Amino acid sequence: MTMNDLTNPPDDTGANGARKPGQYYSYAVPYLSLDGYPGKLIAIEGTDGVGRSTQIALLREWLEVQGYGVVETGWTRSELMSPTIDLAKSSNTLNKLTFVLLYATDFADRLEKEIIPALKAGFIVLSDRYIFTALARGGVRGVDRQWIRNLFGFAIAPHLVFYLRIDEKTLIRRVLQARGMDYWESGMDMKLGDDIYESFRAYQRALLKEYGSMAEEFNFRVLDARRKVDVIQDELRRQIAAFLTESATPAAPVAGKID
Amino acid sequence: MTFSLLHATDFADRLLYNVIPPLKAGMIVLADRYTYTAFARDTARGVDRRWVRELYSFAVKPDLAVYFRVPIDVAVDRLLARRVKLKFYEAGLDMGWSANAVESFRIFQGKVLDEYDRLVDEYGLSVVNAVGSITDQQRIFRRLVSQHLEMEHDDERLDESA
Repeated sequence: MTMNDLTNPPDDTGANGARKPGQYYSYAVPYLSLDGYPGKLIAIEGTDGVGRSTQIALLREWLEVQGYGVVETGWTRSELMSPTIDLAKSSNTLNKLTFVLLYATDFADRLEKEIIPALKAGFIVLSDRYIFTALARGGVRGVDRQWIRNLFGFAIAPHLVFYLRIDEKTLIRRVLQARGMDYWESGMDMKLGDDIYESFRAYQRALLKEYGSMAEEFNFRVLDARRKVDVIQDELRRQIAAFLTESATPAAPVAGKID
Repeated sequence: MTFSLLHATDFADRLLYNVIPPLKAGMIVLADRYTYTAFARDTARGVDRRWVRELYSFAVKPDLAVYFRVPIDVAVDRLLARRVKLKFYEAGLDMGWSANAVESFRIFQGKVLDEYDRLVDEYGLSVVNAVGSITDQQRIFRRLVSQHLEMEHDDERLDESA
C-alpha cells in the first residue's frame, strides 16, 4: 500500500502546461519569491543527437551581440550533483526512482543557484534540456507520471520551450556517427533485450513518443531538427526576437537604459 | 530543496533494497526514522508541506508508526550532555535564524516538534512519552508492538477459517 490514499493530490497539481511562464508550475519553493524578476527562461529540449548545444552556442552569441546578458544551464551540470550522478551511472546501482530523484536534486540545485539568481538579475537563461527530459526518461521507465509532475512542481514554467524533433532513423544514425551508444542512452537498464542496438532503438522510440505526448501538454514550439543548422537557427532567432520585442514593449521607456 | 531531495533519494534507495525485500519475505522491518522525519524536518526548513508529502508518496505505509515525544528543553539537555558540539544541519544553522548553535537548535527543533504534533493526528502516530526512563519506554513500546502483532495474527486466523 502506498501513501497515495492519504495525500491524494488533485489532477491539476504539479508541472503542467496551464501555468504562467516565469512562475512556478505548482507548489512554490515558499522561501524564494519570483515576483517582478525581469529575466527570461528559454528551454531547448530534444533527444540526443538533435544539435541542442550547437544551437545554444549560436543563440548565445547572437543574443550577446544585441546586448543581452546570457546564462546557460544544462542537465546534470550542478556542482552539487554532477559527480554523484556520474558515479551512480557508472556503478549501475540506480533504480528508476533514484534515477529521477537524482535528476530532481541536480535541477533544484541549479534552479536555486543559477536560474533564479540569473532571472532576478535580468539575464536570459538558455537551458540545455529542462524538466521534460526527466519527465520523458521517467515516463518510459514506468515511473508514475503524476508523481514526477508533482515532484517537479517546484520548477519554473519557461517563457519559451523549443523542442527539436527528429525521427528515429536520423537520430540513430547521428548518435552512431558522433560517438556510439552508451549503456544509459540505450536504456539497457530497462532490460529490453541483450542486443544493445535493438535496446537503443526501442528506448529512443519510446522517448520520442513520450516527448511527442508532452508537446501539447507543455506548449512546445516544435522545430524539425533534420534541417540544416543555420535553417533551424534562423527559425529560433525569429521566434525569440518576436518574443523579446513583445515582452519589452510595455517597458519601452526604460528599454534603452543600461545598468 | 536539495537537502530534501537528497534525503528522498537515499530513502528511495533504502526502501527498494532494504525495506521492501524483507517485507516480501514476511519479516519485520524496524525503521529508525521514516518519512515523518522528512515531513517534519523539511517543512520546518520552509519546503511546501504538500509537496514533500507527494514526493514520498512512493513509500510503503508502515503498519505501526511510533513517535517518541520529548519537550524541547529535554531534547536540548540530552544532546548537550551527550556531545560537545551540535551538528550544523541538526541545529538548523543553514537557516540563519541565529549564529548561536544552541539557540538555533532550539528555534529549529521547536518548529520540527510542532510539525510532529501535526503529524500525530494526520497519520495516527502512536505517541510514547520519551521523558521517562528507557525501561518504561521500552515496556510501552513492546506493548504497542505486541498488541499490533496479535491483532495481525488474529486477522490471519480469521482469514484462514473463513
